[in-house]
Amino acid sequence: MISPVKIWRRQKDIRKILGKKGKIFLWTKIFTPGTSFKKYAPYPVVLVELENNEKVYGQLVDQEQKDLKIGTKVISVLRKVRTASVDGVIAYGIKFKPLK
Amino acid sequence: MNYITGYYTTKFGELWDKSLFDLVEEAIIGVLKSTNLERKKIDAVFFGNMLAGVLGNNLHTTSKLSEILDVNIPVFRTEAACASGGTAFNLAKTYLDANSNKNVLVIGAEKMTDYSPEEVITALSAAASGEEQEAGLTFSGLYAMMANFYLEKYHYTEKNLAYVSVKNHYHGTLNDKAHFRRKISIDDVLESAYVSYPLKVLDSSPISDGASAIIMSNNLNFIKKQDYSVSVLASEIATDTISLKSRKNIDEILATKIASDKAFKMARIKRSDINVAELHDCFSIAEILAMEDLGFWKKGEGGQKIKEESTKYGNGGNLIVNTSGGLKASGHPVGATGIKQIGEIFLQLTGQANNRQVKNAKYGLAHNVGGSGGTAVVTILSS
Repeated sequence: MISPVKIWRRQKDIRKILGKKGKIFLWTKIFTPGTSFKKYAPYPVVLVELENNEKVYGQLVDQEQKDLKIGTKVISVLRKVRTASVDGVIAYGIKFKPLK
Repeated sequence: MNYITGYYTTKFGELWDKSLFDLVEEAIIGVLKSTNLERKKIDAVFFGNMLAGVLGNNLHTTSKLSEILDVNIPVFRTEAACASGGTAFNLAKTYLDANSNKNVLVIGAEKMTDYSPEEVITALSAAASGEEQEAGLTFSGLYAMMANFYLEKYHYTEKNLAYVSVKNHYHGTLNDKAHFRRKISIDDVLESAYVSYPLKVLDSSPISDGASAIIMSNNLNFIKKQDYSVSVLASEIATDTISLKSRKNIDEILATKIASDKAFKMARIKRSDINVAELHDCFSIAEILAMEDLGFWKKGEGGQKIKEESTKYGNGGNLIVNTSGGLKASGHPVGATGIKQIGEIFLQLTGQANNRQVKNAKYGLAHNVGGSGGTAVVTILSS
């Protein structure tokens, strides 16, 4: 279950990985998601290796089909990550967009 | 030495007229009947189940099993995602190793089709890391990432993966307890809709209901009176990081390699001695990785080897894989799967596998995986 407190706790870590550059290490495109992500499907999800070698998951936004491959350069951005909870709290988190 | 003396499984599928505990009861009655074991002679019960708490708001299932059996013995429930059944078996064996002259009931069960696919996918995702869940990843998504990596690294295509599903669906036609009992073609697989690219519906195991049960014993007086028994040479369990991103190699399941190496060492047999195996093909890529990680094929060869169809029943191969239909065609009620796999090997080694009986099967292996590879259980049995 998603509680507002969980979202708040997670935000402390999110700000540390905003605006970071890296390369796609793994990728897929989800066509059959869970309940909180149903309205966004299909959506691509990537595992990015940042320049400091840290690996971070996120959805890939503002992308074209050609961007979905291992090695594409991306940057982390702040985005709404799932449908708002019953408490109405909107969860923001990390997504990535291709570096043009 | 511990022996399996009986096995029963319900049919797997969309069993809308049966609850989780209806299925559990059917499996218990079935396995006790097959072994002529009175329920009062069971010393302990091990129950593999993943989702009753998350989906059905049913916890303390151990007490419910006590009620069904009308006994007051120790009952333990294990949860390790899709390896919940294998883990229950492993724990039961450990219990027998520590206690002489005991009979144990090992049962795995899951009720999944009461809920929408989205609800089930969300519940299954509870077995992924928080970060993976937050990114909208599902289990098909995690295996799809592994598949993309594998196909690119070893220069294979989606067609190589499709051979796994075609084989296992053929085996499913031979198993009257299987969820799906129809043959499919390579084109059927390739034309099915994507679940998570590059994995499609026909690369994926279904959402199923079912329960499977085994009697295991080290009570020699009881074993002597049994019509059938197979010896448990080894059951080994290994774990790894819950998150795929923390793994060193993406084209292998390390927990499988570790559990397998330990199991073969304990069993004192070679890979080539195994005649039948039930492998954890939750997605087509998973069976290929398993064949490599268990040491049957070399790393990277699996995509080519699967096309040769040597592991398909009737082709005269030395090792036949997933005669039950695997998770793909037999169905995947997650808590039951690990027990059904061991049960299928029991049937094969005791000559009870009917129209899918592998001739002269002496050694068999069952391989059960939890999550994206965070838990693996490898069990080796001998006739």
